[in-house]
Amino acid sequence: MAVSPQLQAAIAAHRFGLGEPDLGIVSRDAEGWLAAQIGPADPARGSGLLDTPGALRLVAEERERRVAAKNPPPGMTAEQVVSGHYREVLIADARSRLATAAATQRPFAERLQWFWANHFTVSVLKGSTRGLVGAFERDAIRPNIAGRFETLLVAATTHPAMLRYLDNWLSAGPHSRIVALEARRAARRDEGTRVSGINENLAREVLELHTLGAEGARNGAYTQADVTAFAAVLSGWRIARDPAADASRFDPDWHEPGRKTVLGKSYPEGPNALYELLHDLARHPAAARFVATKLARHFVADEPPPALVDRLAAVYLKSDGQLGELYRELIHHEAAWTPLPAKLKTPEEFVVSTARLLAAGERMFERPEVNAGGAVFSLGQRVMAAPSPAGWSDRGDDWLGPDAVWKRVEWATRVADRAGRSVDARRLAVESLGPRLGAESARQIERAADGSQALALLLLAPEFQRR
Amino acid sequence: MNPNDRQRNDRFPQSPARRRLFTAAAAVTGSLAAWPTLTLAGAAGPGTNRLVLVILRGGLDGLGAAPAIGDPDFAAARGPLGQFAAPPLRVDPTFALHPSLVELHAMVGQREAAIVHAVGLPYRERSHFDAQQVLESGGTRPYELSTGWLGRALVASGSKGLALNTTVPLVLRGRADVDTWAPSVLPDPSADLVARLERMYAGDPALATALERARQLRADSPMATQDAAPAGMAASGPRPGAFVTLSRRAAEFLAQANGPQAAVLEIGGWDTHANQTNPNGPLAAGLRQLDLGLAALRAGLAADGAWQRTAVVVVSEFGREVAVNGTLGTDHGTGGVAFLLGGAVQGGRVVADWPGLAKGQRYEGRDLRITTDLRAVLKGVLGDHLKIASRSLDAEVFPDSAKVRPLQLLRG
Repeated sequence: MAVSPQLQAAIAAHRFGLGEPDLGIVSRDAEGWLAAQIGPADPARGSGLLDTPGALRLVAEERERRVAAKNPPPGMTAEQVVSGHYREVLIADARSRLATAAATQRPFAERLQWFWANHFTVSVLKGSTRGLVGAFERDAIRPNIAGRFETLLVAATTHPAMLRYLDNWLSAGPHSRIVALEARRAARRDEGTRVSGINENLAREVLELHTLGAEGARNGAYTQADVTAFAAVLSGWRIARDPAADASRFDPDWHEPGRKTVLGKSYPEGPNALYELLHDLARHPAAARFVATKLARHFVADEPPPALVDRLAAVYLKSDGQLGELYRELIHHEAAWTPLPAKLKTPEEFVVSTARLLAAGERMFERPEVNAGGAVFSLGQRVMAAPSPAGWSDRGDDWLGPDAVWKRVEWATRVADRAGRSVDARRLAVESLGPRLGAESARQIERAADGSQALALLLLAPEFQRR
Repeated sequence: MNPNDRQRNDRFPQSPARRRLFTAAAAVTGSLAAWPTLTLAGAAGPGTNRLVLVILRGGLDGLGAAPAIGDPDFAAARGPLGQFAAPPLRVDPTFALHPSLVELHAMVGQREAAIVHAVGLPYRERSHFDAQQVLESGGTRPYELSTGWLGRALVASGSKGLALNTTVPLVLRGRADVDTWAPSVLPDPSADLVARLERMYAGDPALATALERARQLRADSPMATQDAAPAGMAASGPRPGAFVTLSRRAAEFLAQANGPQAAVLEIGGWDTHANQTNPNGPLAAGLRQLDLGLAALRAGLAADGAWQRTAVVVVSEFGREVAVNGTLGTDHGTGGVAFLLGGAVQGGRVVADWPGLAKGQRYEGRDLRITTDLRAVLKGVLGDHLKIASRSLDAEVFPDSAKVRPLQLLRG
């Protein structure tokens, strides 16, 4: 690496972490500081957090409340009976996500946690997934970010949040027992069937968004027939009736009988086919390339250096998808340490790095008068509420609309109005950004009209907006 | 008119009365340059046409939005999806509109809206992300182009564009003059801070450009300081959804004499894999929201006489399968529906080379077959409405599309 140790520390803290108020925390060996963070993500902080069985119980209770709402008590509407059911959990989940990131001593691991949660997006925007998103991140993503990609893929695909988010829990094989039973029941009662067939949503997105990539479809790595057969493999993967009995998630009554051929390989009937298929997908060269590209794009540049992508893909294939190996290669590669910061922070990164800069950490998000999720929302993003299964964009262009930048100016102004009198932004700029602080930004911060304006300028400086 | 509107008209120069005066003055002098505020490069004069693009993200179910109730195979092909909570709104013996599309149906009756059916992109796969890339880029394959067709069209016509969004959608990217606008909940930062930021961004062109545009846009917005919902709204009914608010605001920008010539609005939520027959489900609620937004656009532009010069195009990245799936929804398909509305549109009709709904007539046995290339619709509108030369349409706006002939959809 050609850059000085001070500059390396600044790059490590901002590009691979979430910013530090003082670069002194990064050791002289910046790469070593990052490497020591590789491992499962920290346990989530905060209170009122449900584990997956607890979240499933909450979902079951909502169903009961909906049934009860058909006969609401006098003076109440049905909507009032069920409204607000998930409110506390959603607030606790969003607070926890931000507070954990703001306070962690292992910001690189936290960034990886965010990266994978976005790669395997589940979103509270879908009604049937609300209440499960926090549990998904804590149980499926956090423990698995530094193991094998296959482990993470299985954990994410079979988690109830994903099964609900991409409709698999409602998908029945066309020749499954449940479809036959339902057809007979419907005929007997002369009404429509409640269950009738397959839903391809999860199968398509696992291929397109989680493993082989859309490019895989364009290059002919998979076809519509593969999607349909994969959906048949996935049929029967539902939510356990008794949330405590986690193992009984696969329901053979809903499963499409017979063998299925996906990507030219035949898979048996039953639940094991999914594990075999995910095992094969995780080893596919297209998956290596897809994961390598996304990782390099997230940390280094919107159009990542091809040499870095090639190297990461090679390490992925050689290590059998060991993510820890991939991260080690990423932080060791010269292309990851270019001095010029190419990436624009997302709103969530901007808000959390601001909290860390002000050493407000957990407190900033625990104080009831500061709506941390609201801050991210006002900047155009919403915590745990990505707009589609593709997750939030990882390209600067998508966050650089005039309005988006204006919203950052507005928010920074408000934060600086509150905090600007108690911090010295000039000193903070030097200690946090080190050699990354450019002459023009330093001059503007130095010449600011008052402490608040100086802090606003620091938060909005290109050196702090980019990483 | 609610009290807030009145207040606004008093405070800001661009009241409707003032704008009418404007138009008259321009007509007398015969030159827009006579008015100093209209000399901005690319500014649209008061008499120029307006184009609104509404993107429905997620893949609108064309047969849900505009059911072909008169097709002999409709009932069998659609099964439970052929049943609506209220009767569909009839357009002609074959076609109707979803019962949620009340305002759009009224516009069809007034010959201000047309339905283009069995329409779609050259793209035939089923990925949202690839299809939206093709829809917005104007190419034939995903990722062959990295700018948008409307962005290139605006460059060709020297016009300004506006995205009612915090970020610029692909369709408007290119080297066009494009602004973004979305409502704010925070107070405006001081002009002094912005001036200092501009100096600080001298070395970062992307941030500098975004800030400069935002600043101008804030100054131009007729309601820049009045972002809160008008008083009395809460008492008189539910708050309008975000799309309705944005539509209303889009109309305000478009009605300004030096406003943008083209605006892009988006609504998501059309990926209806489940629960489509529910009268409060995602499809019905989404269409209601769309309908109210289109009505708000019309009302906002009609007040200033601009509606007569407006064409609104409503499109989605693809349609959905004809048959119901296992969860009372529909899976990704190809052919779908598009809507055209506005005073400039030759409306009151369904434009379709109808392929039929029987299994053998469907694409891959699954989808409504595409018989009209969406680019033919868009080229027709861009050529007639934004006066873009056909050579430019064939080669730059929609590359290699000479074989796709523009459809005549506007009043001649």
